[in-house]
Amino acid sequence: MYILEIDNLSKYFGGVKAVDDFNMKLEEGSITSIIGPNGAGKTTIFNLITGIYPPTKGSITLHGNSILGLPTYKIVDLGLARTFQNIRLFPNSTVLDNVRAACHDMANYTVLEGFFPSKRRYEQEKRIKERSMALLQTVGLADRAEEIASKLPYGYQRRLEIARALALNPKILLLDEPAAGMNPEESQNLMDFIRKMREKFALTTLLIEHHMEVVMSLSDYITVVDFGKTIATGTPKEVQNNPEVIKAYLGYGDKK
Amino acid sequence: MTIYIQGIVYLFSINLISVMGLSLLTGFTGSFCFGQAGFMAVGAYTSGMLTKLVGWPLWLGIICGALAGALISIPIGLPTLKLKGDYFAIATLGFAEAVRLILENLQQYTGGARGIPGIETMDSPLPVLILALLIYILIRFYVSSTHGRSCIAIREDEMAANCIGINSPRMKTISFFVNGLLAGLAGALLAHYVGFIQPSMFGMAKSTELIIMVIFGGMHSVTGALFSTIILTSLPELLRAASIWRLVAYGLLVVIIMVVRPEGLLGSWELSPNNLKAIWNNLFNRKQSAREGN
Amino acid sequence: MILQQIVNGLSIGSVYAMIAVGYSLVYSVLNFSNFAHGEILMIGSFMGFFLLSVLKVPFPIALALSMVGAGIVAMAIERFGYRPLRLRKAPTLYFMIAAMGFSVFLQNLAIIVFTPNFRTYPQLFPLTPITLGQVAIGRLDLVIFFISLISLSVLSLFIYRTKMGTAIRATAYNYRVASLMGINPDIVIGIVFFLAGGTAGLGGMLFGMKYTTYPWMGALTIKAFIAAVVGGLGSLPGAVLGSFILGMVETFASGYVSSSFRDLFSYAIMIIIIIFLPSGLLGKNTSEKA
Repeated sequence: MYILEIDNLSKYFGGVKAVDDFNMKLEEGSITSIIGPNGAGKTTIFNLITGIYPPTKGSITLHGNSILGLPTYKIVDLGLARTFQNIRLFPNSTVLDNVRAACHDMANYTVLEGFFPSKRRYEQEKRIKERSMALLQTVGLADRAEEIASKLPYGYQRRLEIARALALNPKILLLDEPAAGMNPEESQNLMDFIRKMREKFALTTLLIEHHMEVVMSLSDYITVVDFGKTIATGTPKEVQNNPEVIKAYLGYGDKK
Repeated sequence: MTIYIQGIVYLFSINLISVMGLSLLTGFTGSFCFGQAGFMAVGAYTSGMLTKLVGWPLWLGIICGALAGALISIPIGLPTLKLKGDYFAIATLGFAEAVRLILENLQQYTGGARGIPGIETMDSPLPVLILALLIYILIRFYVSSTHGRSCIAIREDEMAANCIGINSPRMKTISFFVNGLLAGLAGALLAHYVGFIQPSMFGMAKSTELIIMVIFGGMHSVTGALFSTIILTSLPELLRAASIWRLVAYGLLVVIIMVVRPEGLLGSWELSPNNLKAIWNNLFNRKQSAREGN
Repeated sequence: MILQQIVNGLSIGSVYAMIAVGYSLVYSVLNFSNFAHGEILMIGSFMGFFLLSVLKVPFPIALALSMVGAGIVAMAIERFGYRPLRLRKAPTLYFMIAAMGFSVFLQNLAIIVFTPNFRTYPQLFPLTPITLGQVAIGRLDLVIFFISLISLSVLSLFIYRTKMGTAIRATAYNYRVASLMGINPDIVIGIVFFLAGGTAGLGGMLFGMKYTTYPWMGALTIKAFIAAVVGGLGSLPGAVLGSFILGMVETFASGYVSSSFRDLFSYAIMIIIIIFLPSGLLGKNTSEKA
């Protein structure tokens, strides 16, 4: 049983085929990576999965149910969380509030009750704060909880975005280039962190990444895309030895 | 209380009620409403006509005015709040102008441009002041609730907010509804303070003035909106001579605030026991904190 | 009668088009509604008025001068108001608020400087209309129509046929990528504001010639907003199309219904478009880019 199945997914922008017949199956608890050159349509795949763009054709099923046509917030409610390639925090909010905002499901008081104080509200808010602090602890940001998010150093912002995504209690976590702009030591820490998260939260992770060391050491499966098309899929070993991959993608890397 | 002071208290309270709605909608939810006066006009005419022409009691007219403001916000908000912010700003602007045109042209009911005179007035500004301050407290509670945090998330980055499961059209519609309710209420109260209503009381200038009150105080602070409503309501009353230059200065100040200090007067500071304690400590334990700083 | 209305609709539509094109151009590049656009128009209109009636400058020179003048004011607004926001990557909301600030500032300054009076341009063209069968076409209407036709053509040639025009379109398509390709966004955006301001100034002058000039005439830009929304926000051909549709609807509404309800018809059209066709007739995306 696959947790997420994507079949023949395509997205055309005018005449440009950003994603063309993309297929992928995610095994529960696995770490899968999508790799491919810049502009290969990787981020577009994330935007299609999270319902930001409607696909031109194809299907996406989560736990066997189609999520096509659902608004983003409903897809997220079904257990999908993501981060963004160019980090999208709530810049003027505090670190704590960034995480707390994602805990809205833990509060079940109504909008009307929001205008008044109540014991129920007080207790729920207290639990939200505790859980948010615990998450910040996990990503090592607990001592920066009251700082403004946009003032954090870049690496911390990435971690905060991951903490915010984890606050949703997702079953599947989509990470869009989490190691971008990180030095080898930082990306090593990130890899450890992602492995730890998988164990702790029983997460299925889908990763877009350029750092090959990160991809090869973390992933159970890899899908290679180029010009919107899937050109290979398999374990890291299989993909590394695939001649088409070497030609289309890894080859460029060697020349650099 | 002299009539002069009474007048200022009335105007402050009425402005504050309207500004509280705008603070929630524009300051905290990030939807730029350009037509606040239109919602006030709906409230004012609803209450004015129900009390004067139908003979309903004052309090019932005011409640109906508030509800009318809230209800009218739904058909405007639903189609536009889903789209980019510009559509909403333009739609609210168009709405306010359309309301004014309709009021001017339906002469047999609204008295056209001359309006409706002889509307029942209130006896004392005190209940209005208490109501306004109560609304300030309610809005304070709301913006610090989980729903308020969702609104702030939408203001900060709507797509990211959707990606953490926030139903942004719903939250924006709620803020818009609350704003409509408060604007309608403020409009009704205005009608029963002035004693007559005319379409020209609810023009673009009124909408602009109210939004400026939200921006001056700090778009991310309810208390900031409260302070700037106090200052901007009483200042023009005190400096009547300089009134023609007032709007020139306001306009320039808005630009300067956006360029230099977009968070306004107070930023996101709010009036609370903890924050007051922090100020107290800063003022009187300066030496100590300086030492800690070193 | 119908033919006559069409002629009138084309005439006012062409003025709206001048205003809407600049508004849409700014929108396409910076993605925000420049509420100060109307005040540029007002400034252009007053420049034209003083050049013609006080300084007695020949008409073509007055036209050129008020265009350039309005363009420079628009550039100055961008330089001192919007550029700092742009460099700070401020949210769209801040741009809209700053634009509102400029609008309030300039409008009220104009009320003080120019006094709150309506000014009428000097009579430049004979009032006797040209009659074609049953249709009477005012000479002034004809001049206005051709001036806007020419300037819109020149503008579209510039946007679609020159290197700078390509840079503008690239910036509109993707700001970040364009600046990576070696296009200097400060220069491109400065030119965009000059063009938008220039066309607005011209539109203001044409409007002043046809009707009157007054400090709060900037409120006219709501017509440009409506035209741009009808045509599709950010699309230049859309803005022109929307303007002519709006001009037609307005003349027909005041001709067959009542002139006091004319503006209500414009708002009604906008609302219908927003509900049923939110990206307008020729626009593309109405949602945010990821």
